[in-house]
Amino acid sequence: MGRSDGRPISRNLGCYGLLAPTFLLLAVFSVVPFIWAFTTSFYRYEIGGEATWVGLTNYVEYPQDPTCGISFLNLLFLTSFSVVVHVVFPLIVARLIFALSSERARYAYRIIFLVPIVVPGVAVLMIWRGLVYGDNGVINEVLCLAGLAAMARGWLSDPNTVLWAVACVGFPFASGINILIYYAGLTAIPESVHEAAELDGASGLGKFLRIDLPLVLSQVKLLVILTVIGAVQGFQGMFILTRGQPGFESMVPGLWMYFNAFSFQRMGYACAIGVILFLIILVLTVLNLKYFRSAEDVTAAAT
Amino acid sequence: MLKARHIPLVVILAAGVWALWPPSDDEMAVRLGSGPAKAGSDKAARKYQLRMAPGLYLPGTMPQSVGKPLRGLLEVAEKFERLYDDTHIEFVGYPNVREWLVTQLSAGTAPDILNVNVENVWQDVQKGWYVALDEYLEQPSPFAKPGEPGSKQWWDVFKYQAITRGKAAPDGKMYCISYDMIETGIFYNKDVFDRLGLRQPKDWVEFMDGQARLRAAGYIPLIVHVHNATDWGVDLVFDQLYYPILGGIDLRKDPTREAYLAGYLDWDEICYLYGKGFFTQRDPRWRELWRILKDWRRHWGRDLSTDDMIRLFITEKGAMYWSASWVVQKLARDPDIPFRWGIFYLPPIPPSFSPYSGGHEMCVIGGAAMQYVVTNSALKDTGDPATSERLKRAIAFLQFLTVPENADLVTNEVLSMLPNVRGVQPLPELRPFDEFLQRRYTTTKWWFTFDMRFNEIFLRMCDLYLNDGIAEDEYLAWTERNLDFAVETTLRRKKVDLEALDRAWRELAPLRAGVKGLPDGAK
Repeated sequence: MGRSDGRPISRNLGCYGLLAPTFLLLAVFSVVPFIWAFTTSFYRYEIGGEATWVGLTNYVEYPQDPTCGISFLNLLFLTSFSVVVHVVFPLIVARLIFALSSERARYAYRIIFLVPIVVPGVAVLMIWRGLVYGDNGVINEVLCLAGLAAMARGWLSDPNTVLWAVACVGFPFASGINILIYYAGLTAIPESVHEAAELDGASGLGKFLRIDLPLVLSQVKLLVILTVIGAVQGFQGMFILTRGQPGFESMVPGLWMYFNAFSFQRMGYACAIGVILFLIILVLTVLNLKYFRSAEDVTAAAT
Repeated sequence: MLKARHIPLVVILAAGVWALWPPSDDEMAVRLGSGPAKAGSDKAARKYQLRMAPGLYLPGTMPQSVGKPLRGLLEVAEKFERLYDDTHIEFVGYPNVREWLVTQLSAGTAPDILNVNVENVWQDVQKGWYVALDEYLEQPSPFAKPGEPGSKQWWDVFKYQAITRGKAAPDGKMYCISYDMIETGIFYNKDVFDRLGLRQPKDWVEFMDGQARLRAAGYIPLIVHVHNATDWGVDLVFDQLYYPILGGIDLRKDPTREAYLAGYLDWDEICYLYGKGFFTQRDPRWRELWRILKDWRRHWGRDLSTDDMIRLFITEKGAMYWSASWVVQKLARDPDIPFRWGIFYLPPIPPSFSPYSGGHEMCVIGGAAMQYVVTNSALKDTGDPATSERLKRAIAFLQFLTVPENADLVTNEVLSMLPNVRGVQPLPELRPFDEFLQRRYTTTKWWFTFDMRFNEIFLRMCDLYLNDGIAEDEYLAWTERNLDFAVETTLRRKKVDLEALDRAWRELAPLRAGVKGLPDGAK
């Protein structure tokens, strides 16, 4: 029955037809470039020039590249910082909104936190640069007015502060989307669970840690994966704010990949860096999926 | 139904529509340059639709945000289109970044004529992305009147011959015309100088003393961008320290470049000298160069890498601003600048300040500003320079741009650059820069010697060093690693004849015999 007479396939032809353009676009714009990049990583290739087979040379060169060590250390710091703040702060904000008694207020706050996402990321970075600018930026001007001129510095040009100055873009880290994801998770917790917890004497922080947090672990897991992928792949913040400077103090592998591809025209080498980043993201995502418990796992373990 | 609470929303929407309402066609034509020809118009029907990215002179723009929108180039194009009724010139802006250029050129979609720093594209000339202009430069310009410059060779129309001809690529060919000139200088606040009893410094010692006094008076003594410090600063101090020994290390007389840039150290000479220990930790002059820059850095602003340095000068937080002639447009034409200002050139470093300095006059490091190249897009019609009519139109337009009255119309519309066409005088405010340009040209330009990778690392590590992020020895080790890679790439790519350089090195040995402070084994 079913497949042997071919009816299910013919019945689903319409669905396949509707999906086909999506698969085609994915293939053309995602799969083919990936295969091309993977292949190119084995060549010395300059745009517009001849490609020369060099085998694993590009992969061997990157660990010896003077930027490699510092780039990965910076990436580790920025990714860890990003995961912590983009997972923790939105959860706190979402829980506070969820705790409001008025539905109208809850709605208003959700809107307020969501509105900033219409501001382009580049604009956010430019505003941030204005705040931390060394000679007449807002932060330094305020410090001078407060009589703390000795603390004023070129936040983005000082090797000691540049990573923090870049990491703190987006302060106070209450991303509207993340808040909504958590809020959806919190609203999905049955009211009866809260009532039972209250009957057992749980309240306030205890209820948050013992009831809410375990039951939004699926959302935490999702946000950790998305944040890690975004942090490892992303370099636009660094590109706009510092270009990885001073020296290589704020360099990350993605940015060095970009410079090699389009400034130095070392496309093969850049592709090798890209493949290495892909493998890192793949491993981190698999580890996350395998070892990070979701709400379902917690519930299953409890029962 | 519209209610009272909807009114603010309606007002906001109406204001948004008003702000975004497109300007009239005439206004757009000036704002966007001539723009693409309108569909159905006479110009759209023309056979050759050329695009030019003219850099500073883009019609419709206001350099330094002062004055009126430019339209000089439009007027010249209109005159040209009357002569060539099968051609329309469209002017376009473009992001002046290499990433954009590389992708456009590889796709064959770059503008036909483009302003670019020609040294930055030497790496690409063998890819056929640019058209060599030598045969056109050696022919008469069709627009030169008999007996006038250009009537024998187009070459002759250019005023600053040395700098213009010095733009030849490593393969000996010329891929650009240098349309105008730029030079650097120190802009200073005359009111502040008068109040503190300072004058234009005669030498480096006086210059440093003056900066110390400015700092003590609460000013940022010198505003400078890290890019300029690593480009201009390194070359100028390098020249002060190495020019005295140039006779013993100038190994090659390039027939094309040397005739105009006497003694200039090219990439092959730099590579060879590096192999002899120059520009390494063992080279006392190289160490001295970085020490002088580091010592100078204490008088600069706190942040060396922002894009709005001029604000510090205009708001009188900084007393001096190291920039170039393009700033004159802002300083001379902005009615809100509340102080008197002047220009001077960097003073020489006397031997009393550095034992390696010759105390000679500072050289110049500026040169060609708008460098117009013709790209592979101009060959779209036939793909062959010999038969391409489109290319002929592009070349003809460049030649037409160098007719004196046209060059005057374009370059002197902006108070930024010095016209590089004989018979066109610079605007009076720019004359100091014309005087600077009469000086000897620099011994070398580090930014134009190697590839973009070298420049990127050079800039970054210099920035870090100047900002106390790295110790001198560690910095010099970085520089050596960078040079190792760049020299290896250059030798491989350009197939440098090391034997010829070796012979020259031996021949010059007597000139190095008595010189102190050479790297070990470099006699």
